[in-house]
Amino acid sequence: MKRIYSISLLALLLTFFYDAAFAQNVTVSGKVTDVANGQPLIGVSVGVRGTTTGAQTDADGNYRLSVPANVTLTFTYVGYVTQSLPVGSNTTLDVKLAAQVNDLQQVVVVGYGTQRKVDVTGAVATVKGEELAKQSSPNAVSALQGKVAGVNIVNNGAPGSSPQVTIRGTGTVYGNTNVLYVVDGVWYNDINFLNPQDIDNISVLKDASSTAIYGIRASNGVIIVTTKRGRKGKTTINYNGYVGLQKVTNQVKMADATEYATAINELTTTNGSAAVFANPASFGAGTDWYKQILRTAFTTNHQLSVNGGGEKSDYNVSLGVLDQDGIVETNSYKRYTLSLSNNITPLKNLDFGVKLNGSYSRSRDVNNTIFHQLFGAAPVVPIFNDNGTYGDPDNGSLGFRLGGGSNYNPQATIDFYNQRTERYSFTGNVYAQLTFLKNFKFRTSFGGEFTNNQNTNYTPVYRATNAQLATQSSLSRYRGETRNWIAENTLTYDNRFGDHKVTVLLGQTAQREQLYAYTLSALNVPAGSESSYFSLGTAASRNIDDAGSTLNTFASYFGRINYSFKDRYLLNASLRRDGASQFFGNGTYRNLPAVGAGWVISQENFMKDQKVFDALKLRASWGRVANAGVPFNLTIPSTTTVPAYVAIFGAQQNPFTGTSISSVIPPFIVAEVSEGTDIGLEGTMFDNHLSFDLDYYNRTSKGAVFAIPIPASVGSLQNSIYGNQADIRNRGAEAAITWRSNSRGDFNYSIGGNIGYNQNKVLKIYSTLNTTIYNGGTGLSNGALATRTMEGRPIGEFYGYQVAGIFQNAGEVTASAQPNAKPGDFRYVDTNGDGTIDGKDRVVLGNPNPRFNYGINTNFTYKSFDLTLDFQGVAGAEIYNTNLAYRFGNENFTKDFYDNRWHGEGTSNKYPSVNLGTTSNSAPNSFYVSSASYFRVRNMQLGYTLPSNIASKLKMQRLRIYANAQNAINIFGYKGFSPEVGGTPTNAGLDANVYPLFATYNFGVNVTF
Amino acid sequence: MRNIKNNIYKATSISMLIAATIVAPGCKKAFLDVPQQAQTPVSQFWQTADDANKAVNAAYANLRTWNNIAFAPIAVESLGSDDAEKGSSTNDATYLNLYDNFTVTSTDGQLQSFWEGQYQSINLANQVLDNVPNINMDANLKARYLSEAKFIRAYCYFRLVRAFGDVPLRLTIPKSDADYNLARSPKAQVWAAIEKDLTEAAVVLPQSYTADDLGRVTKGAALALHAKVAMYQQKWADVLNYTNQVMGMGYSLIPNFEKEFRLENENSSESVFEIQAAIVPGNAAASNSQYSQVQGVRGVTGGGWGFNVPTQNLADSFEPGDTRRFGTIIFRGTTTAEGDAIAATGDNPMYNYKSYVPFSLFVSGFNEGAQQNLRVLRYSDVLLMNAEAANEQGNTTQALSSLETVRARARQGNNAVLPRVTTTDKAELRNAIWRERRSELAMEYDRYFDVIRQGRAAQVFGPKGWKANKNEVWPVPQNEIDKSNGVLTQNIGY
Repeated sequence: MKRIYSISLLALLLTFFYDAAFAQNVTVSGKVTDVANGQPLIGVSVGVRGTTTGAQTDADGNYRLSVPANVTLTFTYVGYVTQSLPVGSNTTLDVKLAAQVNDLQQVVVVGYGTQRKVDVTGAVATVKGEELAKQSSPNAVSALQGKVAGVNIVNNGAPGSSPQVTIRGTGTVYGNTNVLYVVDGVWYNDINFLNPQDIDNISVLKDASSTAIYGIRASNGVIIVTTKRGRKGKTTINYNGYVGLQKVTNQVKMADATEYATAINELTTTNGSAAVFANPASFGAGTDWYKQILRTAFTTNHQLSVNGGGEKSDYNVSLGVLDQDGIVETNSYKRYTLSLSNNITPLKNLDFGVKLNGSYSRSRDVNNTIFHQLFGAAPVVPIFNDNGTYGDPDNGSLGFRLGGGSNYNPQATIDFYNQRTERYSFTGNVYAQLTFLKNFKFRTSFGGEFTNNQNTNYTPVYRATNAQLATQSSLSRYRGETRNWIAENTLTYDNRFGDHKVTVLLGQTAQREQLYAYTLSALNVPAGSESSYFSLGTAASRNIDDAGSTLNTFASYFGRINYSFKDRYLLNASLRRDGASQFFGNGTYRNLPAVGAGWVISQENFMKDQKVFDALKLRASWGRVANAGVPFNLTIPSTTTVPAYVAIFGAQQNPFTGTSISSVIPPFIVAEVSEGTDIGLEGTMFDNHLSFDLDYYNRTSKGAVFAIPIPASVGSLQNSIYGNQADIRNRGAEAAITWRSNSRGDFNYSIGGNIGYNQNKVLKIYSTLNTTIYNGGTGLSNGALATRTMEGRPIGEFYGYQVAGIFQNAGEVTASAQPNAKPGDFRYVDTNGDGTIDGKDRVVLGNPNPRFNYGINTNFTYKSFDLTLDFQGVAGAEIYNTNLAYRFGNENFTKDFYDNRWHGEGTSNKYPSVNLGTTSNSAPNSFYVSSASYFRVRNMQLGYTLPSNIASKLKMQRLRIYANAQNAINIFGYKGFSPEVGGTPTNAGLDANVYPLFATYNFGVNVTF
Repeated sequence: MRNIKNNIYKATSISMLIAATIVAPGCKKAFLDVPQQAQTPVSQFWQTADDANKAVNAAYANLRTWNNIAFAPIAVESLGSDDAEKGSSTNDATYLNLYDNFTVTSTDGQLQSFWEGQYQSINLANQVLDNVPNINMDANLKARYLSEAKFIRAYCYFRLVRAFGDVPLRLTIPKSDADYNLARSPKAQVWAAIEKDLTEAAVVLPQSYTADDLGRVTKGAALALHAKVAMYQQKWADVLNYTNQVMGMGYSLIPNFEKEFRLENENSSESVFEIQAAIVPGNAAASNSQYSQVQGVRGVTGGGWGFNVPTQNLADSFEPGDTRRFGTIIFRGTTTAEGDAIAATGDNPMYNYKSYVPFSLFVSGFNEGAQQNLRVLRYSDVLLMNAEAANEQGNTTQALSSLETVRARARQGNNAVLPRVTTTDKAELRNAIWRERRSELAMEYDRYFDVIRQGRAAQVFGPKGWKANKNEVWPVPQNEIDKSNGVLTQNIGY
């Protein structure tokens, strides 16, 4: 193969020599390299100014050109600053090109194409793959945290899990809130199958005009991921590996055994019974359950890639192995990834390629209630008794009768939890692209996803404690198969007529998305047979449930025109027509148009003489997008056949299937439509040292699906009907500013900051019924609900009583509007002044939707050293500490609560008595709400690159070693485990059972051969 | 080599282009016609007798759901009485105490649960009553299904009207959202609707079923419930009439009171109506009754949570030697007749024996005691209603006779205890019958509303905080009032 390329290159060079013979020229040769790393640049155009003479650099960066003497050569290369050098008397001219730092000149990936950033009329942010790779997050999306203004990312710490991403606020209550990911042209809801190190770049499409080309799936924003492809030139082999550890940070301290026993005695006597523990001090410190169950967890990650290509083909192959332990004992996750990219140009005008990602992961899971169990676990109970049996919190004959929520021995919980998850995923696409009639390009592609997600849970017969036991073994397995495909055809016309530049795109898409999911279960399966043998279980106990399966199809047509005049005035218009199988009649198709306009001010004549701005552009856009992911199957009234409707009859008490209609007449639901405008100003200044991007946006979801509560007397199981009933607005502003040193000396740096502000509001509800949605009941007892969503307010605000203080004595109680209270209870404000404390006194307590999120990202390099410091934070959000009052009885308390609790007149006017679990004290109130703002050192990385002369002696192109710390420093006022709590729109920010926050420390090496 | 490769790529790309052109015309309407997954559309339902059967099944099954059988009934129908108190761990679910000491306010969750549970069952009955008439099927079977649904609807409205007084009266499924927000109907209308359903049901329902259908509503059940409904309205002639009819149907008390509540005596000759529950292997969701679990003995595997426990007042109320004391209350430190030793150190001095399932029958993965049927109407209740009505109607002989049948069983052969009641004084006999109701029906969710019906609540429950002109009914759930935009009104005093 290599010889073929050399021959063709030789032929090319001969052509130039032939030309040269007539002009009596000099021959100039040299090598073009990257100034930053000394790597040869391949395919750099070397031209003679004012002529058509030219050449390109070869695979080693060398060029050779015969030119008349005293001409000037220009070296142009995509993504680099063009350099012009006079030949003079030189016959050797080595050139170092610097990467283009004028952001506006960079080529960015947009929907169905690429554009120079200066030509983009919408809000598009890009992040390079190398930036993400520096984060050493196993998940690509998680690595985006703090990198892009307006993108809020809430991490879930569990190994293998994906974070929750919100771009420019939540615009839906019951619809799909997922961002659309487009990886090499294929659409996904989640990209945890991707190894971040296989990513070349990410584009975040934020405004409606940019996303409108993705139509009915685009309303939550679009993240376009382009994976690495081969680079023409020498084959490089790259190894990147790290080892690391994860350690819990900002851990909440719990009361110890003596304190616990004291508190429970107080609680029991408050409720009118005798103290439980005769001598609390006798328990000493007791069991530290967190210490027992949590651990320092290790991670290793290896990635090996081979990259290369020749004139007519390129390839990139990468293999990754991630082995990550969770911070909970027994929890582990392993992921193997394979990424393959191959592009061929068999004919001059035909490109053909394939991208394939394979991934396999398996994990040993933890029971997801473990975190709340740990929170509640009684420290007086030993992990194991002296005789080796599990300490039992609720066994009268052994001494403890704690019961309620402290009924578990967390050690037994993890010991007998045997869930294993396995996931196979094959994703990718093939494409062919034909260029014809010079300006036309036809591209056809077919891609998809085949994922098999399986978790198997086997419980043996065991007896750990009174409440934790199994009298019969059980085996259950969930298997979900995702079979999605997408076929696309696009035709692009691209031309320039004088000052007019036109690009026209026409396209068509067909998509099918299917999830076939089923759960198998059986009882009395012998131990050791859990691998597959449901048939060994009791026949009558075998059960199959596949009710969760779904199938959707989409048919779409789209077109777009980009027009620019003198590179100064830009116009962009698109229309997508989407059909979705969920909808009917008039609702089947949606027409989703968008327009954008840009004015490149810096191209104007009046800007010629100023030196401040290198580039400056004002842009404005409007677009309409939609969300097809509204609650499925609502549009057809359907029957309900659930186990709870199985009737029992007969002497043998046999089950009989029951079916009925538990929902009311469903309204006609169509896709949610949102319309958004965006106004942006972007530019670069001071010789490209400073670049900035400013945006204002206003996006309104129209006809958002909203639950209209219906009176319970209707008898519906849902208690509400869904309909296109609300308008929801997200309005905000973003700024991103970067300063780069752009020096070519030993010291280089860049400092970037970004901030997004968002304001979320339910603008209008169409229904005339009382349309307030109460939710957020997770972890609250007795049907209490902590959030409220209503017209004129943000989605899912915290709502409850305002605490004025704590009742200090019986006299205060009697004199109050809460005659049933006890001293030590919360004293609520009678906000409406009617002399009683009831539901009407509840007020807004906070807002879980962050108003600000920001990031500061810095890079410093000095000679062989490089340092990255990233900071990130959220401000203007509140969190509800559900854990505190998530009580059924004798749960433990936090040390903070214990130390500050009311325990007699005058002891506290802020913290109540230990009697937190009563209806009145556990009712949502201001005590449980606090600021969710945080600031953290998201990432610190210090790297050292071996000088290239030493590296080459070691037969390496490059060797870099680094140390990395992620989330090492977190600053927040919240007294729970982590201020980062996600949730569904009306159930967000409630901390009932979150994965504790942890820091990751890695040490890695990156070698290129 | 390269040529071969090239050809393969060419061939592949050409076939891909062809594939693309095939997909394109496929993107018409047909491509978007996706059948609904894993659910039967309503349009395919209500076609056959089997559909009717399944719809009736759903209405039965719903009676054993959490809202209908666990905390909400304990709160609303039991804890107000002098028979029961919250129990369990002192610090667990303390909101249930609000029902014991009458400090509950309209926002408490159990009110909402109770309200929802009843109306969900009513909806399932209404679905049957509105749709089954249009099904082409055997006329007799159809009439029976409709009657079963009428009984279930009447039973739920009976529970609602006792608990709240005036309630929204929904007798058909709503046709449009304009029908959703229903105001409260005067309780007289609700009582009338209940009586109409029961009258109609009693005409059609069979006296008994084949073994396979055991557990469905019988004629006897409809008449017995009707008698109870009439008793709450002091329609004594009706009570007498209906109970007399039931007494002619062959019911009998089983010899051992305690054994009446064990699994082997479910649907016994004494049983008039029970909510059926079972452990269905491999289907925990269908084995969802928590009736026994929430009341079970604490701190022991196979027991339960220990709520709704008997009071000392109840324990002391039994006449000396009454076997029902033992058959109603599990005392800690004793051993049950089924052989379970109850630790003397238990949290609660007493537990409900009537909901008890022996610990050895516990199956992990299921709620403790998920097998236990809830006895809704027993023959002894019929006898005591008959006695009370006869006494009110001046038929002392019949009153004494019916009362004696109940007492005789409780004596269990020991004639030294529970002397035969002989008084012919109307008021004295009435009191004796009322006392008998307490002993016989304790912990069966009868006592609280029974005492209110008798007009003695201020006297009996007053010491616990019960106030006349307020606590006859519970507050309407605030959430429902809020949702209704004020169409629903609150009860006086809340």
